[in-house]
Amino acid sequence: MIGTTAVPRPVRISTALLGVAGMVTLAGCSGGASTDAAAPVESSAAPTSTSAPSSSATAAETGASGTYKDGTYEATGQYATPESVETIDVTLTLSGDTVTDVTVTGDPQAAESRRYQSEFIGGIADEVVGKKLDEISVSKVAGSSLTSGGFNEAVDTIKTEAQA
Amino acid sequence: MTTPTATGSSWAFDAIGTSWAIETASPLPSIARGAVSAVIERFDRDWSRFRDDSVVSALGSGRAASVPVPADADAMLSLYAQLDAATAGAVNPLVGDALARLGYDARLTLTPAGDPEPAPLWRETLTWGDGRLAVSRAATIDVGALGKGRLVDLVLDTLRDHVDGDIVVDASGDLAARGEPVRVALEHPYDATRAIGVMTVTDAALCASGINRRSWGDGLHHVLDARTGAPVRAFAATWARADTAMRADALATALFFDGGPELAASWGAHWVRMSTDGRVQWSPGFDGEIFS
Repeated sequence: MIGTTAVPRPVRISTALLGVAGMVTLAGCSGGASTDAAAPVESSAAPTSTSAPSSSATAAETGASGTYKDGTYEATGQYATPESVETIDVTLTLSGDTVTDVTVTGDPQAAESRRYQSEFIGGIADEVVGKKLDEISVSKVAGSSLTSGGFNEAVDTIKTEAQA
Repeated sequence: MTTPTATGSSWAFDAIGTSWAIETASPLPSIARGAVSAVIERFDRDWSRFRDDSVVSALGSGRAASVPVPADADAMLSLYAQLDAATAGAVNPLVGDALARLGYDARLTLTPAGDPEPAPLWRETLTWGDGRLAVSRAATIDVGALGKGRLVDLVLDTLRDHVDGDIVVDASGDLAARGEPVRVALEHPYDATRAIGVMTVTDAALCASGINRRSWGDGLHHVLDARTGAPVRAFAATWARADTAMRADALATALFFDGGPELAASWGAHWVRMSTDGRVQWSPGFDGEIFS
């Protein structure tokens, strides 16, 4: 899940902006197909400056033409990867409805995670296909729990309803 | 090929929503079976969020704000505190309502009621001191991260009161063995006819967890990140071996998240996990086999 956090510059930013793909989309949509945008920082003449906006209202949401106000947009987003909640800072500069600069600042948590992994993980193998069970000698097999009774019936029911 | 263990008797049954097999050196007397059934029934009545008359349903529905503390509360919730700390909040015993929201509710609706929502901060909501298990507001306990392992330990202890010799308690994914070493295949999460490796269990427990079976839709399964309420996506299956099934089960859950490998190291436990892109990781000094 993506959610913006309270940051010193409380800029609202659409979820689509919180990914490189989303930003590419924005860069290519000068016609204003994207309906959300961040509020510009009031310093379009100096794109790297970042004074706080006076409000979080967005330019694009009210602009019928769908064009974006020139300026530097900033946001901090939190997103959950499957194994952690991580934070990125996104800065992009718009000029004439074109993204002229994008900076995504990385994630110290993830860097820490990688350090831990090198210390506590003994090995990694790519794409383990495994062996057929009848080729190995074991007395038990351990995988995810078999489901019984009600769960299986309920899954069958929703599959049936989905086909109806 | 799966061969029978060197035991004389096998007893198979369904309980707590999965299949069980208990193997013992000699046939189980009926009094032992009765004792095992009673232990399972008592645990289910305390902790099942799938039955209206359970303790956790009373707290989750708001019918009660506190109840006499169940027998296994301290053992399990104390271990949850370690899981919580190790995974930075990803594992949380109040994830029941978040699971229900995704459709895994008491009526098995299996239809999401809306976007995922994080679980409540359990340390602020749930207490179990002074003989009472209490919630400060209605919240549904789900001990899925380690509860089945706890029950496997209880069943094993009960059996040892009644029979001698080798015992294997296999609750489909969670297994505890006493006596002869048991070679256990690590089932490939995407192909149940294959194994990605083998671990041997001697007077210990091996627990597996995976996202492939208890699943009810695209990306919808029972292993949630409590911080978001959304199902995990990085890892498809985990296995961990520890001295007790509760700890092995807890590790198998923690290994879906950052922090799991470090927790395993602190317990001296070995493990394997497969990411959803098919890569496999294992613990430093791993003593089993990986078929890479």
